[in-house]
Amino acid sequence: MCSARCDRRSVRTVAALVVAGTVLLALAACGGGGSSSNGPTTTGVKGATKTVAVKSGGSLTFALDEDLAGFNVLNASENEFVLQEVLDPVWPSVFITPPNLKPTPDKNVVSSVKLTKKNPQTIVYKINPKAKWSDGVPISADDFVYNWQAQSGNPKYKDKGGKPFEPATTSGYNQIKSVTGSNGGKTVTVVFSKPFGDWKALFSPLIPAHVSKQVGFNEGWASFNSAAKVSGGPFMIQSYKQGSDLIEVPNPHYWGPKPKLSKLVYRFILDDSQQPPAVQNGEVNIVNPALPGLDFYNATKSIGGFQVSVQPGLEFQHIDFNETNPYLAKPAIRHAIAWGTNRDEIAKRSAGEIDHSLTALNNRIYMPTQPEYKDMSGNFSKFNPSLAKKTLQKSGMTMGSDGYFHPNFGPEKGKPFTLSISTTAGVPVRSQIEQLFQSEMKDIGVKINIQNYTADKLFGTIGPKGEFDLIEFAWVSTPFASGNQSIYCSFQNTTVCGSNWDHYADPKVDSLFNKALTTINPTQAATLYNKVDGLLWKDMATLPLFQQPQLFGWSTKFGNIFPNTSSTGIPWNATQWGVKKS
Amino acid sequence: MTAFVLRRAAAGIVILFVASFLTYVLVAESGDPLATLKANPHTTQATIDAARARLGLDHSLLERYWLWLSHFVQGDFGQSTQGRKVEPQLWQRLGVTMKMVLPATIIAAVIAIALGILGAVRQYKPDDHVSTTLAYIFYATPVFVLGILLKDFVAIKINNAAGHTALYTVGDSTPGFTGSFGARMLDDVQHAVLPVLTLVLVSYAAWSRYQRASLLDVLNSDYVRFARAKGVPRRRVLIKHALRNALIPVTTVIALDFATIIGGAVITEIVYGWEGMGQFLLGGLTGPLTPDVNTVQAWLVITAAIVVLFNLLADITYAALDPRIRYG
Repeated sequence: MCSARCDRRSVRTVAALVVAGTVLLALAACGGGGSSSNGPTTTGVKGATKTVAVKSGGSLTFALDEDLAGFNVLNASENEFVLQEVLDPVWPSVFITPPNLKPTPDKNVVSSVKLTKKNPQTIVYKINPKAKWSDGVPISADDFVYNWQAQSGNPKYKDKGGKPFEPATTSGYNQIKSVTGSNGGKTVTVVFSKPFGDWKALFSPLIPAHVSKQVGFNEGWASFNSAAKVSGGPFMIQSYKQGSDLIEVPNPHYWGPKPKLSKLVYRFILDDSQQPPAVQNGEVNIVNPALPGLDFYNATKSIGGFQVSVQPGLEFQHIDFNETNPYLAKPAIRHAIAWGTNRDEIAKRSAGEIDHSLTALNNRIYMPTQPEYKDMSGNFSKFNPSLAKKTLQKSGMTMGSDGYFHPNFGPEKGKPFTLSISTTAGVPVRSQIEQLFQSEMKDIGVKINIQNYTADKLFGTIGPKGEFDLIEFAWVSTPFASGNQSIYCSFQNTTVCGSNWDHYADPKVDSLFNKALTTINPTQAATLYNKVDGLLWKDMATLPLFQQPQLFGWSTKFGNIFPNTSSTGIPWNATQWGVKKS
Repeated sequence: MTAFVLRRAAAGIVILFVASFLTYVLVAESGDPLATLKANPHTTQATIDAARARLGLDHSLLERYWLWLSHFVQGDFGQSTQGRKVEPQLWQRLGVTMKMVLPATIIAAVIAIALGILGAVRQYKPDDHVSTTLAYIFYATPVFVLGILLKDFVAIKINNAAGHTALYTVGDSTPGFTGSFGARMLDDVQHAVLPVLTLVLVSYAAWSRYQRASLLDVLNSDYVRFARAKGVPRRRVLIKHALRNALIPVTTVIALDFATIIGGAVITEIVYGWEGMGQFLLGGLTGPLTPDVNTVQAWLVITAAIVVLFNLLADITYAALDPRIRYG
């Protein structure tokens, strides 16, 4: 997970971080990129094709719209999407997520990964015997032990100086009972205290333990130093100029397929609108802006020798209901709002400007681009304003001469039924959503006041303190559904399900979630997660709007660039990138 | 003069102290640096508490200000909320900004004074009308529009015509560029042309109007008419008697603008992707883990000190330009 994508996109993230490794299993097997016949095929994703032959050498520049907060993506304060992209080809990952969103083990890192026992759940990782860090230290069980301890949330494990670790997530790691090494540290056995279905999300990426122990997990990676130069992947960071650029070069000690490019430059261009001219001037070769609008799309689409691909991302916009509001506490009123919201129209007229196929989203746990996705919305999939009005009437409201319903109960008795909606100020897509929603609610007799805040105010105060009626933002997800539990589990207090800002509670959802989390069989787990979503629709816990499209653009003189909508990002196969052979 | 400088420096320190306190309080109260962590449903309360302690947010506001001040007087600007030392960043950013602002100010001042003189001497002649119109156009054009126009219609066109990248649109240098000193200088110039040109166009436009108006005032004054009546040649009257006086107002404006642009060329920096002082401030207010009080304080101290310094320099320049002015 990367909350940073969140930060830059003003969204929150859902699931545990799965980092891309560096190359696909298939590539490792065939010994390097090359012709279309021996490379990996990225199927199931628009714009992905077979690999092409590329030259060795050359430099590619990738525009990032945010600078790095640090160099440890596992740290809560440095856990950014942009850092994830930078580290894709640097830190090793047991599993990588290719564009088809199916986690695949990276054979360069582990020779095999096996679930050897279901009770207690036991995973055995056999580390590639050749795997070593760029400073010569072998990648070993010590790295697994340290990565577990640092992210376990267990206070008995301490960072340098005896301070508690500050991990971005403890999900899954907090269910591990032991991590032990054998076979000279090249075999790792992980035993869980209770089953964890999304175990493939773990140890991806791996922070170099011997370095992190020395510099400190929390504070040792804040600045660019010798620690940040240590690599366990095909590239290594050569230089970093704050606010300007970061340069990666091939790691000479890498044991797997060598990268084709001689230099990979990440250029920080914080204002997205300045990226198209830089592309046109040949200064940038890849773009992937945060919240792309029609202007960006048009500006890049018209550039010769530049391919643009818009794809639905693993993130979605939604509206949440604060159930501490006496009216929104009633499911019937939430149902009425859902029926009165024309989600297809909102999708079409906001983010749909760059993706004409965009429609309403009918699942919170899985996105339509994931194989597990099912439409669980039931009778909420259709826009039905007349049913919305009838439902409001049945809920104890009377239509007034002013065109608004007036509650016959509660603190607003006799007044027009008014709710506020909040989101991050200054984000065009969000403003469009709010205005359309406001207009649609007026049609069913609900008055909406728009009250927006800066991202830090919204996510730091308004949301956590529940100072809203309705709140609109996006969730960024990964293929691992377990991360959703903390959003929808029954609110008790700020430390137990405190991320459930809506104070939604349903014991049936809790029970089903717990069952899904401990189900190791992925198909059975997906069925359970879909059932969870069915209950969330029935309760109308939140109202999903649409899957947020992502825009990827790249210069066609480079080959093997395949968009990846997961939190891994587009550099998931940077090893294969190169200048096409003419 | 020495007493005057010391008095002004002492006043500057007091102003700086008051400004630092007010800025600290306003910035610290403007948001929550832990908002990003709180927004992440996977960040545990223990992690948030540890981050709060690490950032010193469990102290009262006054305690935090005192801590900052006690470090600052020892020359320590502290760490950003991201755990990086502020001081190296500050000097790096200042260096980047100076690469843009210094040449822009010198070029704009020369052009502004020249065109101001031309406009005043040839008042209401066709060349004055052309100069006035251009000045108003550049003055009224927002920097970001100017930036886009220069990129699209100057840089890209020139590069296409040249068949290689002669002018860059992003950044202050090519990442990882290595070469001789001359080659690096050339690379810097190729990156600086557009942002410098932008600042020149915006700055000269206003300054040339000041210069023109100021010189017109002087040229219409009694002592100039008297000099002309006595038969002093026009050129000598203009350069020796009128221009020196007419430079005083524009000197003040240029000195103050120079100091302001150092800290405030945010839009130019954003448009051209230059990580200078403006973006340093912006990053301290809107980046991850913000507001970042130490970063904003560092920006404030430097820009405020530069404003005070250039005010002082402007005062000293008056004395050089006008011998009647004496500071005691």
